[in-house]
Amino acid sequence: MKTVLILIKRNIKLFFKDKGMFFTSLITPAILLVLYATFLGNVYRDSFTAGLPAQIKLSEELIEGLVGGQLISSILAVSCITVAFCSNFLMVQDKANGTIKDLRIAPVRSSALSVSYYIATLISTFLICAVSMGICLLYVYSVGWYMSAADVLYLALDVLLLVFFGTALSSVINFFLSTQGQISAVGSIISAGYGFICGAYMPISSFGEGLQKAISFLPGTYGTSLVRNHSMRGVLAAMEEEGVPAEVADGLRDLLDCNLYFFDHGVEIPVMYAILGGATALLLILYILLNAFKKRA
Amino acid sequence: MSNIIEIKHLNKSFGEVLAVQDLSFCVKEGELFAFLGVNGAGKSTTINIMCGQLGKDSGTVFIDGNDLDRNVDQLKRGLGVVFQNSVLDGALTVYDNLQSRAALYGITGTAFKKRLGELATLLDFEDLLKRAVGKLSGGQRRRIDIARALLHRPKILILDEPTTGLDPQTRKTIWDVIADLRREEGMTVFLTTHYMEEAAEADYVVILESGKIAAEGTPLELKNRYTGDYITLYGVTEEQVRALGAAYEPMRDAYRLAVADTAAATKLILENPQLFTDYEITKGKMDDVFLAVTGRGLTQ
Repeated sequence: MKTVLILIKRNIKLFFKDKGMFFTSLITPAILLVLYATFLGNVYRDSFTAGLPAQIKLSEELIEGLVGGQLISSILAVSCITVAFCSNFLMVQDKANGTIKDLRIAPVRSSALSVSYYIATLISTFLICAVSMGICLLYVYSVGWYMSAADVLYLALDVLLLVFFGTALSSVINFFLSTQGQISAVGSIISAGYGFICGAYMPISSFGEGLQKAISFLPGTYGTSLVRNHSMRGVLAAMEEEGVPAEVADGLRDLLDCNLYFFDHGVEIPVMYAILGGATALLLILYILLNAFKKRA
Repeated sequence: MSNIIEIKHLNKSFGEVLAVQDLSFCVKEGELFAFLGVNGAGKSTTINIMCGQLGKDSGTVFIDGNDLDRNVDQLKRGLGVVFQNSVLDGALTVYDNLQSRAALYGITGTAFKKRLGELATLLDFEDLLKRAVGKLSGGQRRRIDIARALLHRPKILILDEPTTGLDPQTRKTIWDVIADLRREEGMTVFLTTHYMEEAAEADYVVILESGKIAAEGTPLELKNRYTGDYITLYGVTEEQVRALGAAYEPMRDAYRLAVADTAAATKLILENPQLFTDYEITKGKMDDVFLAVTGRGLTQ
């Protein structure tokens, strides 16, 4: 047990001391911030207000609260995955630079090494995402706060679940990698691609029907939707209180991916949790099987 | 002395490439064993198999009585390995590196601190403990590599080209430490090196070529078998040397004659006592042995 704890400490320290890995993990959230600051924020502001009946005038704070909720939900949904990947690249780096030979030369169980990578990634990713969540909440507080304590708690649960999901997904994918080139390739694909396929850069509702259906098979999509629901539930409810018709508010929920559909069937929030939790469990089992199979091979 | 390493009929291939072919050799307890060969001869493959890093196709490997096929964990406990390139974590401090590696052997807490203190004194790195490994000089890093290999008090130290790229002073320091370890702890040292003067200090030498043993023996046996003797003759003219009928090469103030062995040298001296008033006889070097065995060059 002490061996695993010390290895976890080593892995976490290495991730935070390797500035390249650490800052790479923050690229995607940075891209999102730039996109929102330059044009996406205005696009969403305009689309929200354009969809409202002419007689309804919403306060600036409400609009900014909605745009802010959209921004932070995108950042958090995507960060949990990209940070997990970057943190978990340590297991690939150890193979690429030969350190794994030094670790395996000792009579340590290979399961101890695998567990140490997994838990270290969980902790590193959660630490960064928890800090990100704190900063995001401060930002929303500054532009327009409509979240309840329950929303914040649910949001924390969503982030935690997404961290578990990202760690399990990255463990399975990184298991097959062994060179720096592969790290760069997968890192770039995840940084650039995950934001799109989980609906963080652009709402899934804005994609074509075929693509929407394809994306609905990906569990990460439901993670993004959970974060969106809990980031924007309060502000959407406040809109309804200010006179926005329920059907308009529901249209906004569709537009913002708070409502997700699997082949025209609405997916309820508990089902989203089940999908994300189930996918995480399946990936974890796959990771364990991969390690067990490799050991026998 | 009993055998601490016994390898019999070891075979390993990578696809069509036969990396190790029917390799058999033994290493005696406490000796300095040199394992030589050009790049690609099969040295690293053999070491990786011995350390349980690579599967073998056939053959048996026993290290300190432990069968690689049955008791690999116990076998690993008896081995300390200094890799050709440092594989410690450059971003972490010396202390953190050694702490994480010691934990792999279950050495933690007070036991780790005690062992760290011993090694820091032995290898003189007390002042480096808080420095990042990536910021150390080549020699300093090598000392930490050796400390890492010795953390669990192995009976056998495998050194894979330990002094490549180091300056002469650092090489000497490292060999002094290894000599101390052998003397004080009776440690067996399994060495691969490209420096033949290091191999010349070995108790036993195996030269590999294309995965097979091309030559083996003590350095003296190998020198006698694969190289001749040399007579360096002073105070003579080239005409006088030429008249002796032996191959020679001129030096700044002498001539170097190549003869088959010490007996031939003695015969030449006894037949020409008037010329041999100032001379010295030396044996061939391990470089000559290596070149003769691997066919990359022959003594002229």
